[in-house]
Amino acid sequence: MPKLIIDNREIEVPEGIKVIEAADRAGIYIPRFCYYAELGAVGACRICAVKFVDGPVKGIEMSCMINAQDGMVVSTTDPEARDFRRHVIEWLMMNHPHDCPVCDEGGHCLLQDLTESCDHGIRRYKGKKRTYVDQYLGPLIQHEENRCIQCYRCSRYYQEFAGYKDLGVMGIAQRIYFGRYAAGVLESPFSGNIIDLCPTGVYTDKPSRYTGRRWDYERVPGICINCSLGCHITVSARYREIVYLEGRYSGKVNGSFICDRGRYGFFYANLEERPRQGRVRGEDVPSGRAITMAAQRVKEVSESHGAAAIAVIGSGRSSLETIAALTHVCKVQGWRGPVLFDSRVSSESVRTAVSCIAQELAVSMKEIESADFILTVGADPINEAPMLAMAMRQAWRKGAGVAAIDCRSLDWPFQFEQVTAAPDDMADFLAALENSETTVISDRFVAQIKSIAAKIRACHRPVVVCGTEITDSKIIYGAAGFVKAMRQAGQEAGLFYTLPAANSYGAALLDEIGETAEDLIERIESGEIKALVIVESDLWDTFSDRQRLIQALEQLELLVVADFMATEILHRADIIIPTLSIFEAGGIYVNQEGRAQWSPPAYAGGTPIKITGQGGHPPRIIRPDIPAGDISPAWRMAWWLADRQPPASHDLLLDWMGKTFPVLEKAANFTSEGIRLYLPEARRKTARETGGRKIQSLGEYLLLPVAAVFGDEPMAQRSPCLEGYAKHPEMWMAASDARLFDASDGDAARLQLPYGPLELTLRLSERIAPGTLIVYRCPDLFWQQFARSSRFIVPKDRIRIEKKA
Amino acid sequence: MLPETYKSELKDRLQKVGNPREMVVDVMLEVQEFYGWFSDEALEQAAVLLGMSSLEIEELATFYNTIYRQPVGKFVIHVCDSVICWMENGYGELIDHIGKKLGIGMGETTPDGLFSLLPACCIGYCDHAPAIMINKTVYGDIAPAKMDEIIETLRQEK
Amino acid sequence: MYPQVLLKNRKKDRILSLEEYREMGGYKALHDALTDESFHPRQIQELLLDAGLLGRGGAAFPTGIKMKTVPDDAPHPRYLVCNADEMEPGTFKDRVLILTSPHQLIEGMILAAYAIDAEIAIIFIRREYETAARALEQEIGRAREAGYIGKNLFDSEFDCDIIVHRSAGRYICGEGTALLNALEGKRANPRKPPPYPTVKGLWQLPTEVQNVETLCCIPHVLKNGVDWFKTLAVSKTGAGTKVFSVSGKVNRPGCYELPMGVKLSEIIEDYAGGMLPGSRFKACMPGGASTQFLPESMYHARMDFDDLKNAGFRLGTGAVMVFDHKTCLVEATANLMVFFARESCGWCTPCREGLPYILDLLNRIEAGEGEVEFIPMIRQMCSHMNYSYCAFAPGAAAPVESLLTYFEGEVMAHIENRGCPFKIGKVN
Ligand SMILES: Cc1cc2nc3c(=O)[nH]c(=O)nc-3n(C[C@H](O)[C@H](O)[C@H](O)COP(=O)(O)O)c2cc1C
Ligand code: SF4
Ligand code: FES
Repeated sequence: MPKLIIDNREIEVPEGIKVIEAADRAGIYIPRFCYYAELGAVGACRICAVKFVDGPVKGIEMSCMINAQDGMVVSTTDPEARDFRRHVIEWLMMNHPHDCPVCDEGGHCLLQDLTESCDHGIRRYKGKKRTYVDQYLGPLIQHEENRCIQCYRCSRYYQEFAGYKDLGVMGIAQRIYFGRYAAGVLESPFSGNIIDLCPTGVYTDKPSRYTGRRWDYERVPGICINCSLGCHITVSARYREIVYLEGRYSGKVNGSFICDRGRYGFFYANLEERPRQGRVRGEDVPSGRAITMAAQRVKEVSESHGAAAIAVIGSGRSSLETIAALTHVCKVQGWRGPVLFDSRVSSESVRTAVSCIAQELAVSMKEIESADFILTVGADPINEAPMLAMAMRQAWRKGAGVAAIDCRSLDWPFQFEQVTAAPDDMADFLAALENSETTVISDRFVAQIKSIAAKIRACHRPVVVCGTEITDSKIIYGAAGFVKAMRQAGQEAGLFYTLPAANSYGAALLDEIGETAEDLIERIESGEIKALVIVESDLWDTFSDRQRLIQALEQLELLVVADFMATEILHRADIIIPTLSIFEAGGIYVNQEGRAQWSPPAYAGGTPIKITGQGGHPPRIIRPDIPAGDISPAWRMAWWLADRQPPASHDLLLDWMGKTFPVLEKAANFTSEGIRLYLPEARRKTARETGGRKIQSLGEYLLLPVAAVFGDEPMAQRSPCLEGYAKHPEMWMAASDARLFDASDGDAARLQLPYGPLELTLRLSERIAPGTLIVYRCPDLFWQQFARSSRFIVPKDRIRIEKKA
Repeated sequence: MLPETYKSELKDRLQKVGNPREMVVDVMLEVQEFYGWFSDEALEQAAVLLGMSSLEIEELATFYNTIYRQPVGKFVIHVCDSVICWMENGYGELIDHIGKKLGIGMGETTPDGLFSLLPACCIGYCDHAPAIMINKTVYGDIAPAKMDEIIETLRQEK
Repeated sequence: MYPQVLLKNRKKDRILSLEEYREMGGYKALHDALTDESFHPRQIQELLLDAGLLGRGGAAFPTGIKMKTVPDDAPHPRYLVCNADEMEPGTFKDRVLILTSPHQLIEGMILAAYAIDAEIAIIFIRREYETAARALEQEIGRAREAGYIGKNLFDSEFDCDIIVHRSAGRYICGEGTALLNALEGKRANPRKPPPYPTVKGLWQLPTEVQNVETLCCIPHVLKNGVDWFKTLAVSKTGAGTKVFSVSGKVNRPGCYELPMGVKLSEIIEDYAGGMLPGSRFKACMPGGASTQFLPESMYHARMDFDDLKNAGFRLGTGAVMVFDHKTCLVEATANLMVFFARESCGWCTPCREGLPYILDLLNRIEAGEGEVEFIPMIRQMCSHMNYSYCAFAPGAAAPVESLLTYFEGEVMAHIENRGCPFKIGKVN
């Protein structure tokens, strides 16, 4: 461990780190533009120059390019170094437009800060400035190339770190230009990070343009809930709406970056159509009144039909507090539920995964980056848990091999080897990898499986990533078994599941029964259930049989819906209760790794000023209260529905949760990295065959809706700026199957399904498992009808192909 | 469109090299030769052939001197403007003369699409300053009369 | 007449054929090195080191030492790259060398490759040298047929092939590490060692980059011995000959092979035919655009790496560019800065932004808008060029710095007269 002195401060740092990082550790900030911890050092900008006064290196050098070594004496304040840095800034400012007053970066601009702190105050350069034409980069990012100081962060991030090839650096000398070949939407679903990375205002957040300065915002450290990973974000709110989100550093979860779904998936919280008032039988009432009325009606149903005639539905997008409150209330009142899973398959899969994951097996996303081999089974990170793909890419860049067992035509920003397996066969492949038992798999794959098995055996830190959307509990259980076996063999193997929703893990922790919406519908049909309370869930969007759902709902005496989003099911409710979003209520979310993380509220709630003021600014209506400021978080509402008093504060709520639920014992003691929660031994499950009937004959196809990064996540789907990002309805088919239909890529496919015809563009790939038809979930498509309540099998004669013109 | 023969010949060559990127400068120059300049179409075809994105090709095309991303004439006259040529007696007049003779300024192309005039840095013929390069041929010891002669010969040749 | 080595048997307007080259003892060194069982390739490194062969591409790094940095157990394939980019203004010796005797270069390359056990040799040549590139391709073919290139050369274990790579043109591509990026099809930004190219170069494999002239020297050192090579020079520490490309205000510009350490005055007067009629010597750049102006006081200086270095100058590529008393050095320097500002690769700030800044100040001085405080500003910025990413920017600053050191009076005259004395007729 080298010991060195920086500005008279002695510090000891790990071997191999750069002087600039050593200084960071000592709390000494050395200016930097091109250096960025996660991108590494390239020594381009030259602003990090310091003087090496004594030791193995002498003179002015770039602190980002020199390893910290024993005996170094470094001065960051040396006059010569300062003079050089002042010149670097002066040079960088030669062509800068000085448009800070109209630049959205103003106020949190690194260039601004360093121009000041490096002492460049007066412009001496008299020449002309070079100017550029900006490009349209899509609805998310605004390009203003004139402001560029050529630090190369964006191109390095975009191509090297993230692995996409449509943004980079062109030209030479003083005319270099960062952008695309031609104007157009950036292709990477991780593009927004260039906004955070850019040290000035070349790339700014487009949806939030001109909404304020950094210091105008209420800013809190939050957690992203647009998938199960729980990436760290910073939330900025102003005038009662969320203005924008940025990546926030987490050494355990996401590093510095986030995906575009997370960055732009928050607009549901600002939308005008959001429920902001109670509604009882078509009439607006204050939200408290709606709760009282609902409590009253629930009580009546309970009195006339018994407590068991009342059922509650929750979901994995609610906070742990809400799930705990619902669970508690159901238990003490004798109501059914809360039902936290959409389908039997999903319930079984998620609960199996959560029961398999244990402290010693789980790896964090950041740890994935140091894996030396990654095997995925039925997981498509880029679409299901986008930042996981980034973590895998970093492992790959360091030399890790990646192999995938999947039925989809996977498209990831790094090289990997795919074993194309039908969902029904994935478990066999996994077993074959584990114990070299290759008799169960088709001969065609034996060599490939053997070679992957050998690679896995040869590495030290393998990680198995297992999905829970297209896999069954046998595979999920098998993945954990494989990891355990490798650990027993001395490998530091790790296990990583992806789950469907931000709090699926939290739901599985508290839900011991795993009842599903299907179960409830059956009970409604049989007349057992008369009242349904749906909290932050949308049966309309998750239940596969809409006809059946409509009829069931009509049978109910009471439908109460509480949500912070304007869901479809809301329109069918007798009573609507608005609830608070994570940004207003805060909440604990347990990510797929078992890491419970607290996201504090960013603002107090209430209807955005943009809406109340109808666009006028500032609003002229003076009133003592906040419009729609009386909404309570769903967890409070849960108690009130049962006519009980909730804990008086969030702290007391946490205390109560810890005491009430043994799995949440640690809940009251949060750290910034979160706490890790696991199921006790007693609640662990064993594998179970699920998923209904298998494909039996050649003339049958399994129709499988799968995740798409944009367009199927219930919250992000509502962001107007992401509208164009959803996929168009497509159906992917194995190239070998296509021959049977004499079909080619781009043809129109028409499926005759029980709910009517479905029109899709046909896409072909060698990497689709034969017998499988893959459909990416998108808003333009009623994919719910063939969602996995059971396997959806389509006979060949239901598929028509029309040649493209 | 590039001739199929070129494409298949190139595919063979690409097979032989370890990484297609090795060939990118050659391909850019060859494709440019075919089109006369490195048009968007040329660039996009080169990208497809090399399995690179258009942006990746553009990053390189705009880095180099002799990849023309704007249309140029059949004969591209690179006039050395580095110090030795510049220092020659009568250099200024020579430049003016060429411009007048062709009726265009630096960076322009004659309306008949025959000649383009581009400044170039030292082309390594300082012992024959002032020197110019037209397409791949270098001409030294240029004086107005000699220049007229060269231009006339090229006009005949077109 | 001094002994001619590299340019010996230079033919007017044609290259030396394979037969002619062989007649004058060509490929003998290669033959001997590869067939002598007792001769270890590493001995080539020792010989070159003892002979004091310094790189002729501008940096004057000892070739033997560079070769020794290729680790014995380094992976294969290894590369030898011949740097024939030659875009340094004023320099044209490599072109003349190739067009005099391509086989001399080919033999040098195979020997250098043998010394480091490289199986792939690449000639990186600028596009302006199409004639030279074609000649090379043709002669490489002949050498291959004759068994000097290919597999199991002279029945040894050693294989080596030579490829010609044409650049699409940028000065920075000549910088040894930027050249590697260019070969890999990347933007030709330089790389920062460590690791040095000899450890991790092209495709992260050991790569030796040598200038054309350096490589041409190798067969001769092997054939004639270390002492012979040393005594070719006329300076105390120099070794070998140097091919000077002479240009500017002299009667006979051209390439002259002269002993290392020959006097500048001798080059100009005895070989380049003296100053043009009506011209007086004012200054000279000894080694291309990225070296300092030698003032008149250096007129008799010895043109040797060490001698010039000790006096605060650089021999660079030995491109002697002669300026006369009628040439405005402010304007000439501005012309050089146009070149450098245009050719900067754009990677690091001092070079990308600082050079255009200096150019702007020079242009203002030349145009009569100069202020006295410009001079310390330019000085300071030039000294800051030392902290750029590669050697391009310090090279670009060299002429400007020497302008201010040795010709400050001329610069001041521009400022005081509010215009260029040469244009407003104020030159004596
Ligand atoms: C900006 C720049 C341009 C250069 N251009 C050339 C060149 O055109 N030819 C060359 O041989 N060396 C050139 N060099 C020097 C090379 O970096 C390298 O030192 C040389 O090729 C090594 O060969 P040598 O040791 O035989 O001289 C250049 C260096 C710099 C900094
Ligand atoms: S000094 Fe910097 S900008 Fe200039 S050529 Fe070298 S790396 Fe490129
Ligand atoms: S931060 Fe060190 S050179 Fe940019």
